[in-house]
Amino acid sequence: MPDDSLTLDEVRRMAAEIGMTRLTDEHLQQLLRATRAARARRAALPIANLTPADEPAHVFRLEHGK
Amino acid sequence: MTDLAWLTVAEAAELLRAKKLSPVEYAKALIDRVERHDGKLNAFLRFTPELALEDARRAENEIARGNWRGPLHGVPYGLKDIIDYTGLPTTAHSKILQDNVAKSDAPVAERLKAAGGVFMGKLSTHEFAIGGPSFDLPWPPARNPWNRDHFCGGSSSGAGAATAAGLLPVAIGTDTGGSVRNPASMCGVAGMKPTYGLVSRRGVIPLAYSLDHVGPLTRTVRDNALMLDLMAGHDPLDPGSAAHAAGGYTTQLDQGVKGLRIGVIRHFYTRDMEADPEVTAGIEAALEKLAGLGAKVSEIRTAPLGEYLAVNRTLLTSEAFAAHENWMRERPQDYGALARERLMAGAFVRAADYINATRVRGKMADAFHALFAGIDVAVTASSMDPPCRIDDPKAVEFTYGRQARAPFNVTGSPALSVPAGFAKSGLPLGIQIIGKPFGEAMIYRVANAYEQATEWGKRHPALEG
Repeated sequence: MPDDSLTLDEVRRMAAEIGMTRLTDEHLQQLLRATRAARARRAALPIANLTPADEPAHVFRLEHGK
Repeated sequence: MTDLAWLTVAEAAELLRAKKLSPVEYAKALIDRVERHDGKLNAFLRFTPELALEDARRAENEIARGNWRGPLHGVPYGLKDIIDYTGLPTTAHSKILQDNVAKSDAPVAERLKAAGGVFMGKLSTHEFAIGGPSFDLPWPPARNPWNRDHFCGGSSSGAGAATAAGLLPVAIGTDTGGSVRNPASMCGVAGMKPTYGLVSRRGVIPLAYSLDHVGPLTRTVRDNALMLDLMAGHDPLDPGSAAHAAGGYTTQLDQGVKGLRIGVIRHFYTRDMEADPEVTAGIEAALEKLAGLGAKVSEIRTAPLGEYLAVNRTLLTSEAFAAHENWMRERPQDYGALARERLMAGAFVRAADYINATRVRGKMADAFHALFAGIDVAVTASSMDPPCRIDDPKAVEFTYGRQARAPFNVTGSPALSVPAGFAKSGLPLGIQIIGKPFGEAMIYRVANAYEQATEWGKRHPALEG
C-alpha cells in the first residue's frame, strides 16, 4: 500500500536537504510518487526472521598483500 | 545460399571458415538490411557501417591467410549503448551522456574484437538501463519487430529487436532486474543473464553495482553458448568478477534431458502473481514437452516472488540513486521522465532498509542455491504478459513489474529466457530456465533440447510494409 502521508512540501524540504534544489514542481511530484512507492516497498522486505548474526551480502573485499 | 539475415552464428562460422561466405559480403547484406528496416525499428542508436566494413575486410584477409580465430570471426554483432567501445560515445540513451566518448573498450567489447567480430554499432536501451520505453529522449525507443506498435521489452531493447529482426545474429545486453531476458522474451530470442561475476562489468555504465550482469542475445541456444564462451572470464579489475573457471558452455548441448530433474517454480506465476493465461499455457506446454523428452518434472517452492522483488528494488534503487545523485542535483531536467522517476525512488531509502535487503539477499540466495541438490535446473515464467502496446503508458507501467526475472539478479543465478511459442496476437512468449551458480552449461543443455523439439525458432517477423 502506498504511504500517502508524505506531502509535496515535505518531499521538497527533504530534496533540498540533500542538495536537490533544481527540481521543478513536476519533478517534485515524481519524487513524491517514487518515495511513497519506495516506502511502501519497505513493508514487503521479509526481515522478521533475520537474526542479528545474519550478515549483509557484501561486495567489498580485501585482497592478499594490500 | 540461405538468406544471410537468418544465418545463426554457428552456421555463419562454418561458411566463413570454409571460405564459402565472405565476411564483407555478409556484412554488406546486413548493412543493407539495417538501412532498409531500422528506420522503423530503432534498434540501432548509432549505426557504424564503416567500422563494420573495416572489421569485415580484416577478417576476410585473415581467414584467407588461414588465420581463422573462431566462431565470431567475420560475424556481425552490436553492443547495448551502455558498453564502452573506443572512440564512440557511450550515451546510455541519455542526453546527459550524449558526448561521453569512450577512451577504451570495455573488456567484453575487447574480447569480441579479439574474436574477430564485425562491429555494427551501438544499440538502443532504456535511458540508463532503467527509463523506458521513452519518447522524450534524444533517440526514439526500439520497437518490437513482430509488431512495431508493441513494446520490445527492455532495457536491452535494441539488442532484442535487432536479433529478432535479422539485423544481427548476436547482440550484447545487460541485466539488473531482467533487462536481457525481458527483450529476449518479448522478441522471441534467447537471452542469458549469466552467473553474477562471470562476465566483466568494467566499462559498462552501472545501474546497480551488486545486481548488474552482461549477457548475450541470440536467435538460437547454441549461438548463445558460443557467445558466452567468448565473453566469460575473470577480470581482476572488476571488483565483482568471479575468480572461477569459465567456458565449456557448448559441451553438454547435445546430451538431451533424459533423466534430468526439472523443478518448476509454479507459485511465481500462478499464486504470487497471476500470469496471463496464454503465458501460463506456454509454460505448461513447454514443461510437457520436456517431460516428453524424458525429463523428470516436479514442483519446487522458494520465497514468494513479492519478497524477491522487494529485495531487488530496494537494492537497485538505492545503488542506482547513489550513482546518479550528482546528476540529479545538477541536471534533473536532462533525464527523461521515466528514468528520473524510477531513479528518484532510491533518494530516501533508509540505510537500515538497504542493509536489511542485503541481509535477506544472502539468506535467499543460500536457500535458493540449496534447492539444486534435488534438481538440475529450475523453470518459471519470464514475463507475466505478452508484449503490450508501446504507446500505452498505463499498460507499460502495469506490465513493467509483472515478471519473474529479478529473483535471479538477487540470487546471482544464471537464467536464460528462451522462446516458448506465440500469443494469439502473433507476439512471442518466453520461459525462463535457471541453473545453479556457474551452471550455464546445464541450462544450455536443457534449453537446446527444448528448442530442437519445437518449431518456434523457424518463424521470423515480416518486416516489409
